[in-house]
Amino acid sequence: MASRVLIVLLAALVGVHAGGRTLVLLDNLAIKESHSVFFKSLADRGFDLTFKTADDSSLALIKYGEFLFEHLIIFAPSVEEFGGNLDTSALTEFIDGGGNILVAASSEIGEPIRELASECGVEFDEEKTAVIDHLNYDLADEGQHTLIVADPENLIDVKNIVGTKRDAPILFRGVGMVADTDNPLVLDVLTGSSTSYSFYPDEKVSEYPHAVGKNTLLVAALQARNNARVVFTGSLELFSDQFFTAAVQKAIAGAQKHDKSGNEAFALALSRWVFKEEGVLRGGVVKHHRKGEQEPPTAYTVMEEVVYSIVIEQLVNGKWVPFDANDVQLEFVRIDPFVRTTMQRKGGKFVAEFKLPDVYGVFQYRVDYNRLGYTHLFSTTQVSVRPFTHTQYERFIAAAYPYYASAFSMMFGLFVFSLVFLHHREDTKEKTE
Amino acid sequence: MAGESNIRTALSNPAGWQSLLSFSILALAYLAAFSSRLFAVIRFESIIHEFDPWFNYRSTHHLVNYGFYNFLNWFDERAWYPLGRIVGGTVYPGLMVTAGTIHWLLNSLHITVHIRDVCVFLAPTFSGLTSIATYLLTKELWSQGAGLLAACFIAIVPGYISRSVAGSYDNEGIAIFALLFTYFLWVKSVKTGSIFWAGCTALAYFYMVSAWGGYVYIINLIPLHVFVLLLMGRFSYRIFVAYCAFFILGLLLSMQIPFVGFQPIRTSEHMASAGVFALLIAYGFLKYLHTHLSSLTKSEMRSLFFFAVAASAAAVLMAVVYLTYAGYVAPWSGRFYSLYDTGYAKIHIPIIASVSEHQPTTWVSFFFDLHVLVCTFPAGVWFCIKKINDERVFIVLYAISASYFAGVMVRLMLTLTPVVCILSAIAFSNVLERYLVDDTPKVHHIEDESEDDEEGDKRNKSKDLYDKAGKVRKIRHEPSGEPESLGGNVKTIVVMAVMMILMMFAVHCTWVTSNAYSSPSVVLASYNHDGSRNILDDFREAYYWLRQNTDDHSRVMSWWDYGYQIAGMANRTTLVDNNTWNNSHIALVGKAMSSNETRAYEIMKALDVDYVLVIFGGVIGYSGDDINKFLWMVRIAEGEHPKEIREGDYFTPQGEFRVDKAGSKTLLNCLMYKLCYYRFGEMQLDFRTPPGFDRTRNVEIGNKDISFQHLEEAYTTEHWLVRIYKVKKQDNRVRLDHTVRKTDIKPKTKFTSRKSGKRKRGFIKNKMLIKKGKRPSSKNKKPSRKTSSKK
Repeated sequence: MASRVLIVLLAALVGVHAGGRTLVLLDNLAIKESHSVFFKSLADRGFDLTFKTADDSSLALIKYGEFLFEHLIIFAPSVEEFGGNLDTSALTEFIDGGGNILVAASSEIGEPIRELASECGVEFDEEKTAVIDHLNYDLADEGQHTLIVADPENLIDVKNIVGTKRDAPILFRGVGMVADTDNPLVLDVLTGSSTSYSFYPDEKVSEYPHAVGKNTLLVAALQARNNARVVFTGSLELFSDQFFTAAVQKAIAGAQKHDKSGNEAFALALSRWVFKEEGVLRGGVVKHHRKGEQEPPTAYTVMEEVVYSIVIEQLVNGKWVPFDANDVQLEFVRIDPFVRTTMQRKGGKFVAEFKLPDVYGVFQYRVDYNRLGYTHLFSTTQVSVRPFTHTQYERFIAAAYPYYASAFSMMFGLFVFSLVFLHHREDTKEKTE
Repeated sequence: MAGESNIRTALSNPAGWQSLLSFSILALAYLAAFSSRLFAVIRFESIIHEFDPWFNYRSTHHLVNYGFYNFLNWFDERAWYPLGRIVGGTVYPGLMVTAGTIHWLLNSLHITVHIRDVCVFLAPTFSGLTSIATYLLTKELWSQGAGLLAACFIAIVPGYISRSVAGSYDNEGIAIFALLFTYFLWVKSVKTGSIFWAGCTALAYFYMVSAWGGYVYIINLIPLHVFVLLLMGRFSYRIFVAYCAFFILGLLLSMQIPFVGFQPIRTSEHMASAGVFALLIAYGFLKYLHTHLSSLTKSEMRSLFFFAVAASAAAVLMAVVYLTYAGYVAPWSGRFYSLYDTGYAKIHIPIIASVSEHQPTTWVSFFFDLHVLVCTFPAGVWFCIKKINDERVFIVLYAISASYFAGVMVRLMLTLTPVVCILSAIAFSNVLERYLVDDTPKVHHIEDESEDDEEGDKRNKSKDLYDKAGKVRKIRHEPSGEPESLGGNVKTIVVMAVMMILMMFAVHCTWVTSNAYSSPSVVLASYNHDGSRNILDDFREAYYWLRQNTDDHSRVMSWWDYGYQIAGMANRTTLVDNNTWNNSHIALVGKAMSSNETRAYEIMKALDVDYVLVIFGGVIGYSGDDINKFLWMVRIAEGEHPKEIREGDYFTPQGEFRVDKAGSKTLLNCLMYKLCYYRFGEMQLDFRTPPGFDRTRNVEIGNKDISFQHLEEAYTTEHWLVRIYKVKKQDNRVRLDHTVRKTDIKPKTKFTSRKSGKRKRGFIKNKMLIKKGKRPSSKNKKPSRKTSSKK
């Protein structure tokens, strides 16, 4: 009995670590079946999935100030209003509280999804539009050229987000997106090809399309400043069993035929990233001290040799293991960086040794490790660097020897003069008189 | 007083009476000097005033707590974030060391006094000493009577009180004493020509150097004195000895102050003293040669001598000029240029021009600060010139140069005040000597007079005591037949008039001290119609809020005026303060204040600012607030960032600085404006004015709809005098910067919310309808329709 309890506890613990409570919002429960491969993979990885329709009147993400879920999947493109206490502000609050969201839309996209996207810096095209590409569409397309074959070249080149490179293209049918180019947080995970655009498939193109060419985003990701991750895809079908298993061939002569699309591998990699199974880092203990000492001083003095170390760990399969990289840099900053050096790995820690600049002031040791696909690691430690105290200057410098010489010769001269003065007192007196 | 016989002789001895009287007068002058400076303490409390004193107090506190060496090496990481400030090397430590010594002395005598009280009462204490130093100097220059008058004048003259009321714990408080004492010793050493007095002068000069940057005045005035004496052909070995000893010792000693360091040999301000030293040596050498070259005739000798002196003077001048151009000697700094050319600072160094005490003096303030003395002071100069000797040359030079400087800068009124007191005392003393003295031939009546009127005894030529106001002496003797003597009535009238003037002077001094110079400026007071007093303690309220409610390491951005107070009272890190040593850092803060919010946020982020503090006087009509100082921030920012900030943008096309609707867009949207007037548009102060009516500028503000993106209001004091804002962290997400595109190519599904308090169900457009008992009709439906079209 006890052992069973233990196992259950362990399982729960592993569950918590590996996955986390996940709320899945659906347009209808049939999606659960049509996307079963995707959901099964999540469940196998330890995610605790709760399926609800998006208009369920009992929806809530937060209760008594605590989040009920770590992750949220919105596979409900056509929702016009979420049920229960859920709305756009609740969703943004969820993101700001650290929750991760995977959103899949389609050409039936409703307003709440678009609002959520614009809160995150992504703009979905309007309802009933679709991404159209007259050159890169699949053989199975029905004439509107909306079943896009997305080349793997158009994927962002980040292993943590899209997995290892594959040849198999990705099938996509749905709505397009655009993002501000100067938005520092949004990643273009999958873009359309240069011939794609986004418009109403059954209308004449009378206005400039919302998205054209490479600007058309098929999949966009956001890593917020609190490291919450949000992925927007324009196509719900991208995750469907049908697309996972479909064969792909571009509808142009001589196109290569792939027996299985790249959707499954891509979708799973994406889900691993968005639900924080990949690319999660944390900074640990920061130590800094003078070389040869152990404790940090109250203030450093200019030009001292210092040692800085930081523990950085990565989450791998639910365990924190030392992070392996050779591009972690340390900056020593006072408004501008005065020192920038790459840190060495030494037994789970990253260590940098350097000489402080000959500048006093309030500095910060700053590790700002911001790599695509990884959580943003930012650690600052403020220290003061003071100038020499009056006892720390060199005491005897060569340039001062003339002065020492003059001082001593003066003393000697005075001594001799006093002797002479005393000795010849009478003579001088006579003279003056 | 050893025995009764001694006392008896002392009582009958006029010299004894005289010294007793002068002693008691000096003691009274000391007391008057001390007590007339206590208005602020009595009306408010024992508190440090204004801005700079707060830093002095804070560093004195550090000195007392951690000892002298820690103070010397103190690196203040809470000031000038993130540059820091080496306090020990950037401060004149004389003031702190003096206060620290007094505190240590009192405590070792087991008189437990808090260091704050020592600091508060230091300036009045030294004012008393100043009046004694003035007495000594005047006595050397003229007579004892004039000395006593001068001591009494300086004790109460407003020009000096303005910088030395209790709580005004600033360098000037002790520096004026050091200045006058140095001058006294210098005059003494010129008179005696002894190395001892010259050494004392150098020591006093050292104290002055340690206390105030104004020491440069001494090190230029004394060489000027020597130079003028040379020009007048008054060279003597007394001067030679005095100056050489003073210069060498003074130079070495002044270089011991870390803040001064090598300046005495590296900057132009000090070159005059070195040049005069070289000249004096050359002069002395030629004199010496003179005694050995007896073969030449006298006229040949004279022309040769003149030529040699002129040549050596020219050589010295050339050497200084060459060294300056070669870069060994720093040229005159901007602060000194602005003394020469009053418009210089306005164009080149706005930060100096922005300080109100660096403005040229108005004529009114001469009268306000000196009253009748400013009228009698030229008479004193005239008397000195008429009976010129070596040391009177000095006081005349002092008078001329100080009046020039006082005219250029309000602040330097302080150096003028003592010389005005001295020369006026000489003038008054002369007048009284003439009209009060009993000029009946002394051979006849000297016995009975001395019995009748004890004070009459001591009328020697140079020892008259006249400053006991109100004691008009009876003039009982008819004028004798001498031609200068005047009628008794005339004398009485003149003496009465002089006494009246002096009484008016005393009344004026008290009035000015009490009304103009005794406000701590940290605490403000306002009076109601019934005469009752309101204390506006907003500054301390805000600073204590910061102290209690913010993180210990929070960084507060404010205009530099409040830096010392924030550090002293709130104990928080500041970006800029009243030290103003780094113009570009101040310009950065000025730029943040005068940019729009987004730009300002970038600057504040780069500087790690946590809180922003502004002073806003619009609610109570306080005119010294940040909006009134704002143009200086713009000017200083423009000096460093001329491409981003332009002063012209903040004016209306007509060239006016207005905060109402007609004001320029840039002004109405800059950070400072928003910080000051946030939520002010909702506030209606009274029923005669519209909401958002600024009482300081008497206008309704132009931008009432102020909202912040990156800041939030953290605290506003009772009378809105101080407003503190918190700088928010960066947004977690970046929103779209435009509204979502909407076209009407195709009609959209219209949707209105159907949620209510009870009904919480949402809505899905293509809600799947489940019809029981039927199989899905077809398998080859389009996948995208799957969600909606399953039947």
